[in-house]
Amino acid sequence: MGLSVFSHRSSLGVILTVLKARFLIISRYRGSLFLESLLPLVFAAMPILIGVAVAGGDAAAGQNFLANVGTADYKLYMLLGASVFIVVSTMLWIVGFWIRREMEMGTLESIYLSPAKRIHVVSGIASYAFIRSSIAFVAALAVGSLVFGVNPFRGEVYAAVAFLLLGLVPLWGLAFLFGALILKIKEANSVINSLQWVVSFFMGVFFPIAAFPPILRYVALTFPPTWMNQGVRASLLNLSYFFEAWYIHTAVMFVFAAVVPLLGYSIFLSTEKRLKRKEGVGQY
Amino acid sequence: MPDVIIKMEELSKTFISKDRKGLRSKKREVQALKGVNLEIYDGEIFGLLGPNGAGKTTLIKCLTTLLIPTSGTAWVNGYNILTHENMVRASIGCMLMGERGLYWKLTGRENLDYFGALYHVPKPARRKRIEELSTLLSLGDYLERSVETYSSGQKMLLAFAKALINDAPVLFLDEPTVTMDVPTARKLRKIVRDLNEEGHTIFYTTHLMLEAEELCHRVAIIDRGGVIELGTPQELKSSLVTEEVITLEGVIQENVVQNLREIPGVKSATIKSESKGRTTLAVICDDSRQLLPRIIETMVGNGATVDFIKPHEVTLEDVFIARTGRSLGVDTRVVAQKEG
Repeated sequence: MGLSVFSHRSSLGVILTVLKARFLIISRYRGSLFLESLLPLVFAAMPILIGVAVAGGDAAAGQNFLANVGTADYKLYMLLGASVFIVVSTMLWIVGFWIRREMEMGTLESIYLSPAKRIHVVSGIASYAFIRSSIAFVAALAVGSLVFGVNPFRGEVYAAVAFLLLGLVPLWGLAFLFGALILKIKEANSVINSLQWVVSFFMGVFFPIAAFPPILRYVALTFPPTWMNQGVRASLLNLSYFFEAWYIHTAVMFVFAAVVPLLGYSIFLSTEKRLKRKEGVGQY
Repeated sequence: MPDVIIKMEELSKTFISKDRKGLRSKKREVQALKGVNLEIYDGEIFGLLGPNGAGKTTLIKCLTTLLIPTSGTAWVNGYNILTHENMVRASIGCMLMGERGLYWKLTGRENLDYFGALYHVPKPARRKRIEELSTLLSLGDYLERSVETYSSGQKMLLAFAKALINDAPVLFLDEPTVTMDVPTARKLRKIVRDLNEEGHTIFYTTHLMLEAEELCHRVAIIDRGGVIELGTPQELKSSLVTEEVITLEGVIQENVVQNLREIPGVKSATIKSESKGRTTLAVICDDSRQLLPRIIETMVGNGATVDFIKPHEVTLEDVFIARTGRSLGVDTRVVAQKEG
């Protein structure tokens, strides 16, 4: 058996080592974290400025928004949507590109040759994605609040943080699903580019999903980030939760948190097994 | 009789490959392994020889759990590759992709530490092992540098160190010296022998016959997915003891080779290499002294120019040529295909 000693501690060691290696690698690409923090600002600025242009002024835009959405603070609404979206997007990007890059470098086969369980390796990557997306969220919200002159701490801040954290759990599951997709089709760019828009559309980044026709609304409600986004906004902007009551909203998010990771991981494992029956995981 | 440490039973692997022509593609079934049965003994250096596309890498990938065989099974260090994948992985060290499989943005030490953790090697043991490997492979000078600054040979040595990080009882080395310069390759072969003397079993693939003859206790020759010869290098060479090998060089056309094969007493005539209009031909025959005048006459009579003739000792490559009628330089992927 050589020097391998299997224990819970060594499994935790796998997660922490993968996490550390990711930070070491990104630290050698200077400037990327800074640029990433600016992205949600640009993302949120576009609809905010379009709103002002179309409504004919800040106050008019706020009044129109109040009539349609329930809050006049459309800037914070957009900024929150963009910041939550950046969390979702960063999570999917990091996991998707991680698999693709490991395939290209040949390190994916090296990982598969080791006795490390896939859940520990992917948990290391997901933890890294979680930390990076959290940094991007906080930076975007802080700088965005200064730039657009909004106060993000005026509502139920603790509830918003709780919804954000609860929403991250099913995101791990979605990251597994996304990873399975990249393993299968062996291409990350086109998947990420197309999913980027689909995700932001169904999450209701710039508008309430109540604006959707009924069928699209139900589709949007099956997507966990939509609930995460609405939970954060409802807490901070005093908007209504889906199905009105906060506890129903929370219960649905708990169900997502319990089901989606299991579903995502089992699909990831079955995709991996299918690939090993065919050409192997290293082919791309 | 030593214990069996790797056992293969009817191991087969079939791939579906796509032949593409523009937008159209046609599916083909490629049988990469055909019912391979082999036993590798504890403590031996076992060589797997064969041309590109013969099935060497597929066999290694099945044994190291990277691929699931279509049928059949195998055991490594007593663990089944289908039911105890993790225990198989913990029992082996692998160098399969040459210099690939390393993180170029990390230093050599960070790479070894990372893979050591993936192998569940405890941190103190990992640190000690990295120091041992650094001394063994003389990595000290560049262990703290990013891998992207390494030469090709240095990357290969680091990849070799990675395979040794968990000090596993079984090592799989797939063409480990392929991009190394001569002194580094010699050094690696010496380390392989030393590791074997310490008790490690080594599964070694190469297409370099001399390397196999120098290193391996036993050798299997694999061609088109099947094992066609198995034995010690001496046993395999002795199987051609009644035959002799002549190497001829010059301008030699394909029809000349055909005519040579028709001479009574000639067992095979195979082109070993072709470069800049010059061809190297291996002729295996019963009695070279008696047949040489007839061989030269046939060649010259058919328009060939011969400018070098050399009878030589039987090598493992000659064994391969005698058994398959082809040189090891030939890529057999195409001929191994079967219409699906």
